[in-house]
Amino acid sequence: MTIVLAYVDPGLGALLWQSTIAAIVGFVFYLNKTRRWIVSTIQKIFGRGRKPEAASTKITVSSESLATKVERKTEVR
Amino acid sequence: MFQPAPSFRDPSGCCCFFRGRVLRFVAADAVAGFEQFLQTNCARQFIAGKQFVATRRLNESETAALRTEPGLPPIFSAPAAGAVFEHVRIPFPSYPHEWPPEMLWAAGRLTLELAQAALADGFGLKDATPHNVLFRGSEPVFIDALSFERRNPGDPIWLPEAQFVRTFLLPLLANRRWGLPLAGLFTASRDGIEPEEVYRFCGPLEKFKPRMLSLVSIPTWLTRKANPDNQRIYQPQLLANPEKARFILESLFRRLARSLDSLRPAAQQKSVWSDYMATHSYDDPAFVAKEKFVTEALREFKPARVLDAGANTGHFSVLAAQAGAAVVAVDLDAACTGAIWRRARDQKLDILPLVLDLARPSPALGWRNGECSSFLDRAIGAFDGVLMLALIHHLLVTERIPLEEILRLAYELTNSLLVIEFIEPRDDMFRRLTRGRDHLHAALEAKGFESACAPYFEIVRSLALPGTQRRMYCLKKKSAT
Repeated sequence: MTIVLAYVDPGLGALLWQSTIAAIVGFVFYLNKTRRWIVSTIQKIFGRGRKPEAASTKITVSSESLATKVERKTEVR
Repeated sequence: MFQPAPSFRDPSGCCCFFRGRVLRFVAADAVAGFEQFLQTNCARQFIAGKQFVATRRLNESETAALRTEPGLPPIFSAPAAGAVFEHVRIPFPSYPHEWPPEMLWAAGRLTLELAQAALADGFGLKDATPHNVLFRGSEPVFIDALSFERRNPGDPIWLPEAQFVRTFLLPLLANRRWGLPLAGLFTASRDGIEPEEVYRFCGPLEKFKPRMLSLVSIPTWLTRKANPDNQRIYQPQLLANPEKARFILESLFRRLARSLDSLRPAAQQKSVWSDYMATHSYDDPAFVAKEKFVTEALREFKPARVLDAGANTGHFSVLAAQAGAAVVAVDLDAACTGAIWRRARDQKLDILPLVLDLARPSPALGWRNGECSSFLDRAIGAFDGVLMLALIHHLLVTERIPLEEILRLAYELTNSLLVIEFIEPRDDMFRRLTRGRDHLHAALEAKGFESACAPYFEIVRSLALPGTQRRMYCLKKKSAT
């Protein structure tokens, strides 16, 4: 692969500033990665047993809210 | 007709305008990368959206035919070590020193969108200047197709960032904050404005405002502190993790896009001329008569290309565009041309608005005056119709241009139609401009105007606008003088 370097003036202060921000954003990249790893690890350890429960909770909530709406409509009528 | 000199800055190739064709020579080591880029999703998507110039490679017989053409740069005549491509031609080229801030903003937006999209396909934009963009009507088109190269996946630095800041962000910032005209900035410097120059304009507290800190103050302080002889600063800082490098670049593009959006010119900008349509000296019947006169002339002559000289907020440019013409609308007021650009873009009208003083049209610029052609080099003979409405008193009085000269220029600009509004010296607006120098124009009257037109134009018809000291003329260019 041939890489042709840009021929434009990259500036001096601007390039140093971009490099500094790049280092900070690079640190954020690892923070994000670490956060994702922690979340996925927790999900692996504790999440498996909960998934069906969470799903059933959602259904319960939605059916509850539907039931509430039906009740409200009946009251209005 | 003027032909710009072939481009020369990019070592990967050069572009040249030849007998109405736009040809690009690409050096041998860049051909494969260039063709790969043209096949990417990014290039295909932007070409389909008409935001990237359509490009095709000439086959061997076409290239061989080019070799026999006299007048081509030598590199095109013997392209053994490279390849020749042809771009679709953009009808009326324009340059950043002729754009209102809205158009510079749109060009910057397109540049960033392309850089972001190319990143996903493994390519990088190697220069970020508004000279890479032309406008087809009000829509920006990226024309420097060779500006993309395959990027090193581990490189987290975008070298043209400083150029993007110099040529897009800082001119928009200086224009917005201090009203510096883009024409002045880009006529004086091809590569925009340096942070150090903007820093000198800033007050002590302003230097610490977040936007100034990031774009101006910190780069300036770092430049002062850094050792300019330290070449290690410019060495590539490659990362082992390509995902991280891309994350950093995506973050950079988002940050630049936010900065650009924060500098987007306001919609309702005020200037001396921006309210002209609401405050002009015509009453309704006169304006309706003027509108009808122009519409009939456009319907009769059906010009394909129209120059609206002194367009103001573009009322008559819109009429011409709605009649099917491709319009170039010029006015010296950047707020007015910006308003025309917004309207043209919103209503999808083929109008190219340019900030231009007809008495001091943009000159030829760049190396040997060959990189940007002058406005008149591009405009003379390029239009089938010219509108000069409520303009000649400004040229006669403010600029002291003789009437014969104005008509001669109109004759050179148009191939057929001229619609011109004659304003008698008794007119209120005329007298407002003369400021006591009425005696200089005392002899000017309609008959004298018609006599001055006679060498260049036939009078098709004329109409006195009711309740005014103004008369409309529909003129047809005489074939030769």
